[in-house]
Amino acid sequence: MHPRRSLSTTQAAFVLLIAVIVAACGGSGASLSPTAGATEPGATEAPPTEAATEVPPDQVTGDLTVLEWPGYETADFWTDFGGTYKNVNVSFQFGSTDADIYGHMVANPEQYDLFHQYTGWLQFDVDQGLAAEIDTSKLKNWDKVPDAFKKIGQINGKQYFVPWDWGFSSILYRTDKIPSVDSWAVLFDQQYKGHLSMWDDGPGAVTVSAYVHGYDEKNITDDQLASIKAEWTAQAKLNKTYWVAPADLESLMNSGDVWAGYAWQGSYAVTKGAGTPVAYANPKEGRNSWVGLYGISSKTKNMDLALRFLDQKLALKTNQNLVNLYYYGSARQDVMDGLNDPAQADAYGGAETQALLKDTFSIDDPNILQHTNFTPDLTDAQREAWTAMWTEVKASQ
Amino acid sequence: MTAASERLPAGAGRAVDPRRRTFWLLSLPSAIGLGLFLILPLLFMVALSFRNDLTGQLLAPFAPTIKQYAKVFGTGSYWNLLGISSLMAFGVATVATLAAYPLAYFLAFRAGKRAGLYLILLLVPFWTSYLLRVMAWRLMLDSSGVVNSVLIGLGLTADPLDLLYNRGAVVVTLIYVWIPFAMLPILAAMGRIDVRLHDAASDLYASPWQQLVRVTLPLSLPGIVAAFFMVFIPTVGEYVTPLLVGGTGGSMYGNIVQAFFVQAANWPLGAALSVIMLATTLLLVVIGLRIVQPRRLLAQ
Repeated sequence: MHPRRSLSTTQAAFVLLIAVIVAACGGSGASLSPTAGATEPGATEAPPTEAATEVPPDQVTGDLTVLEWPGYETADFWTDFGGTYKNVNVSFQFGSTDADIYGHMVANPEQYDLFHQYTGWLQFDVDQGLAAEIDTSKLKNWDKVPDAFKKIGQINGKQYFVPWDWGFSSILYRTDKIPSVDSWAVLFDQQYKGHLSMWDDGPGAVTVSAYVHGYDEKNITDDQLASIKAEWTAQAKLNKTYWVAPADLESLMNSGDVWAGYAWQGSYAVTKGAGTPVAYANPKEGRNSWVGLYGISSKTKNMDLALRFLDQKLALKTNQNLVNLYYYGSARQDVMDGLNDPAQADAYGGAETQALLKDTFSIDDPNILQHTNFTPDLTDAQREAWTAMWTEVKASQ
Repeated sequence: MTAASERLPAGAGRAVDPRRRTFWLLSLPSAIGLGLFLILPLLFMVALSFRNDLTGQLLAPFAPTIKQYAKVFGTGSYWNLLGISSLMAFGVATVATLAAYPLAYFLAFRAGKRAGLYLILLLVPFWTSYLLRVMAWRLMLDSSGVVNSVLIGLGLTADPLDLLYNRGAVVVTLIYVWIPFAMLPILAAMGRIDVRLHDAASDLYASPWQQLVRVTLPLSLPGIVAAFFMVFIPTVGEYVTPLLVGGTGGSMYGNIVQAFFVQAANWPLGAALSVIMLATTLLLVVIGLRIVQPRRLLAQ
């Protein structure tokens, strides 16, 4: 009798475990389903909010959770909000890439009030019902943002995102090793074998190949993608390492191990500021440009606080910090215009830093934007195919 | 109420064996822990691998598909990388176990009263972060790092060698990371060896080498096998070390899995790759144990 009783106990435990799993899944599904209708693609509506100016800031209390990129939690990046709303507790969770942030939002949208995403990924957030429409009438600093930037945060004709930081992607190179760079094709140049570094990003790789070969970035064909895959597979033999964090590239440029690499403009400012002989190319195919934007989670229970946070994100000091401490572009036009005003040098860390920033953003080049390619939104199929292509490139080494 | 108890078969109402009840009570917390934190996530990962994509609620019902597995089976480079990663793991586990054995032997039989102190000293570096230790190897192997500086200083090379950003750097770093951990099960096995067996072997004119080969080695074999697999299994799926010191050509299978989760937002494909890695690793372990047959060796 005992073996049979023992077996039935084991079976009962197994059945219990399965029941717990099923109950857990069913429970979650049941608890999520009532709100699912509110997050239909394109149908997300912002919960009712109170005017952001009605309550004195020192009487505003609560908690906000921001899904951020590592490093962006620095107090410099929300100094106006921190100084104004002293009784609000802001905490940060992190995602290391756009895909990571998107994945976090898909898995736990209730956990975050705001999230930081870059161009290329905005459509997915809206299609998945992750972003709430933003009532910009609550943002006192909204008029500081040029219309062209506002438009980038609009999906399906509605304002789902508030633009904040922006920058360029181009080739950063050591001028003591490479006389000049006028094309993205330098990343495939055999004579620099072992001294090149590409960003570890599939869509970024497709973008570079599209620029070099004149492909339409929005309509890459299967044949073109196959050729891009072959091109990057061959390039891997020339590449020192794929960089993930800009600091990795900056270190390799400073040490002289890497002579040319795909880089964001901040790396140019950092390496040049460190005294390394570097230049930031203006390729004949044009630089790439990207914009970072904040969205409010469609599941937030703190819409009022989230709007206050976004408003203060657009405040002056926060944006000056963004530019002169971390070398990113600001969505505030007056902050970027200040780079051209010698009288405002102190606000940008002094005349030397101001000059470096002017150089970094090519402020003196009136045609820079005409020669810039802005990152388009990806489709699901492109994201899947391009990232799979890049993974296969890395797996084939 | 009465009818139910009357229908019970003879003996069914007998009291449960107290030892069996104690066994189940003691097992319950760990069983619940394993169920919640190992089995449940594994089942979730398996379920995820049958999703078409990430759209929709993660826990909502979905139509299962084998699309992700078809993609993996149709991509030779993934299998190639899995093979390379398994070979690297085999090499790392072998060298780490071989290097750990003399250390364990010294601590078990030669260190005497200071064995505890030496053990602590060996483990001191591991009180720091894993990332810091790997980053330290970057400083060691960098073009301007310690190793190249010494080589150039000694006149052995004029230009710095490419020691970093390749598979060699990954293997060296992983061996360093695993040696102390590999030592622990071997040390535990040696701790169970009766030292009087050495005296007996010596009395029978066995040389120190014969004592090692005929007495210590067979009796410490369970520890050696445990150490090998303790290193081999996690190394197959390693991704942090190759990410930091592997460079373009130093990727391992774990990096591909990580890429699909973190860079591609393609969790289903990442989950399918994980399931395949899990199955492959289990298969390799079973094959390895069949070849080694530690029980048969012990019986000898």
